[in-house]
Amino acid sequence: MKTELSRPAASYDDWLEQHREDLKDPRKKSFESPNGIPVETLYTPEHLEREGWSYQRDVGYPGQTPYTRGFTPGGYRQQLWKMEMYAGFGSAEEANQRYRYLMSQGSTGGISIALDLPTQVGYDSDHPMALDEVGQIGVALTSLDDVERVFEGIPLEKVGHIFSTANAIGPIVCAWLLALYQKRGTPTGDCIVQLQNDPIKEYVARGTQFLPIEAAVKLTTDMIEYCRTAAPEWLPISVSGSHMKQAGATCVQEAAFTICNAIAYVESCLDRGMKIDDFGHVLELHFCTEMDFFEEVAKYRAVRKVWTRLVRERFGGTTEKSQHFRLHAATSGRPLTAQQPLNNIARITLQALAQILGGCEQTRTASFDEALGIPTQEAARTSIRTNQIIAYESGVADTVDPLGGSYYVENLTLEYERRIDAIIRQVDGMGGALAAVRDGFYQRALAQGAYREACAIESGEQVVVGVNRFQSDEGQPVPTFKVDPGAAERQLAKLKAVRERRDSAQVASTLEALRMDCKGDRNVMPAILECVKAYATIGEIADVWRDAFGVYVPESVRF
Amino acid sequence: MEATKNPGRRPIRVLLTKVGLDGHDRGVKVIAQALRDAGMEVIYAGLRRTPEEIARIVLEEDADVLGLSILSGAVVPLTRRVTAALKENQVDDVVLVVGGIVPEPARAELNAMGISGVFSPGTSLRDIVSFIRNNVPEERSYQESK
Repeated sequence: MKTELSRPAASYDDWLEQHREDLKDPRKKSFESPNGIPVETLYTPEHLEREGWSYQRDVGYPGQTPYTRGFTPGGYRQQLWKMEMYAGFGSAEEANQRYRYLMSQGSTGGISIALDLPTQVGYDSDHPMALDEVGQIGVALTSLDDVERVFEGIPLEKVGHIFSTANAIGPIVCAWLLALYQKRGTPTGDCIVQLQNDPIKEYVARGTQFLPIEAAVKLTTDMIEYCRTAAPEWLPISVSGSHMKQAGATCVQEAAFTICNAIAYVESCLDRGMKIDDFGHVLELHFCTEMDFFEEVAKYRAVRKVWTRLVRERFGGTTEKSQHFRLHAATSGRPLTAQQPLNNIARITLQALAQILGGCEQTRTASFDEALGIPTQEAARTSIRTNQIIAYESGVADTVDPLGGSYYVENLTLEYERRIDAIIRQVDGMGGALAAVRDGFYQRALAQGAYREACAIESGEQVVVGVNRFQSDEGQPVPTFKVDPGAAERQLAKLKAVRERRDSAQVASTLEALRMDCKGDRNVMPAILECVKAYATIGEIADVWRDAFGVYVPESVRF
Repeated sequence: MEATKNPGRRPIRVLLTKVGLDGHDRGVKVIAQALRDAGMEVIYAGLRRTPEEIARIVLEEDADVLGLSILSGAVVPLTRRVTAALKENQVDDVVLVVGGIVPEPARAELNAMGISGVFSPGTSLRDIVSFIRNNVPEERSYQESK
């Protein structure tokens, strides 16, 4: 260090030059985010100037275009983000108990239902493929009877919001809930139902597809269309990038692929004559937040900017409402480690903070023991508390978009916008999202990303605390959650009882009517609603689809 | 990395697949690329394959190694069904390895079934490559024609 005071630098380059000696041996060979975005030593107003950045055009005020700073003028000063927990396991009764517990602990995001795999791929609990998997990673729902049990004794109007990762089976779950509301006489507006209903990404990352992709998108569109009149308050689709990210997409790809998929759904709705002004506000884009703090913040800001521009310029949206999509963020389970699991509380806190600073209106937090299994009650409580500590103790919620104007974050937001736009053009050029899936474009990007990261962790270039550095021999035993082994048996017994109790002639005739509507290319929702009211099972309904539309056939890939 | 020390041998042929309903294939695709970069021939058969289908593909592809990827918690019963299907189809010369979420008790059960290649998250890619190299018998990968 020089002893005399340095003269104030005239520019960024001048400053670099003045301190060349001090900056000579940085901690890392090169500073680049895992997404390949170079990170400079410092960001200054000059950087923004060089990008042609304009506050009015690129950022603006909260509640105004381009919505970079958020959709509402008051942000979290008016309303804190919704704090949501995702849970579900065993049979309906166990899930019911956990939901009651989470609500008693101040979870404000309503009930978020994890489904077991047989349910997600349209098999009844007693299907041979369902063996050993009933109730394992979520709750088993086979007929309306299970759904009634899940909500037994829970007043829907107190829940406020029900979410589920129903994708290929979205229309069936939607019909179950419509039937439940009708039976209870609950108006649809009393408790908002939101289903993921995003099959496209299943073919890329999550893997619960069981129909040809075109048929799956048709069913999704049926549900969106039907809900606009049958349950106009409900949110019939949540286009999700989170699973693609966890399967290896970079943060930029997560944002861009999700937007490309959302374009495909919107265009499918527009093709039916729907107007974006009528449904733009019920769309949700769902992402997950990983460890790259500032990029995550920039991603959420850029996504608001890009999507609202598409709504205006590509889909002809003319109202504020049509642009105000739901921006949903969840902390990612993937960076959580099985080693030294309590470290995950710090990871979850950072991820939650990033998505909050990114201005998400609904956030979900993971539990620190997720790398080990289904969260225990204590881990789930700590997860809600993390959100609450950020909300009530840290002060970050007291001014709108507190990182707005950060030279670095604004720079990254521009960079994200540009990179997302480039990928949208590329996918458009391929013929859209379905073509990109059929081509394997997304799948290759994800596989390469995952491999790149695995190699970087193996070589030590990417540090994972407690895994490839700062390991510890001290065990941190944490209790792990076990699904009651009797749950599957109880589920099978209930299913058998439903089959005996119901009017089988009515089941057969409603399924036949559904078959006719599938073949006749009509909206299948009214027919599915009749099937579920007759207690037809998910497997029976999905089999009608399989017969009418064909099945997804896995492909062998040579590497 | 070289797949074989001996130039007269054909590359080790690996069939990777998911079994059961779980559709998470990030891990299995990472392994596929690591084995490919180690010079092996890798076929990934995709999701939700039944034990019978797997046995058939092993035969069709003449695979030296069968890698099952299972993250759903049903690792032991699923693996048991695959071994039964292999037996039924008289496939007795394939090296079976299992990757995924494998809790300790399940690992012990798999070992008791004679499966020693059991890899959980965090296993080094290098270790998996060497396990496969060391366990595929030399005569399996001998190049007969070509």
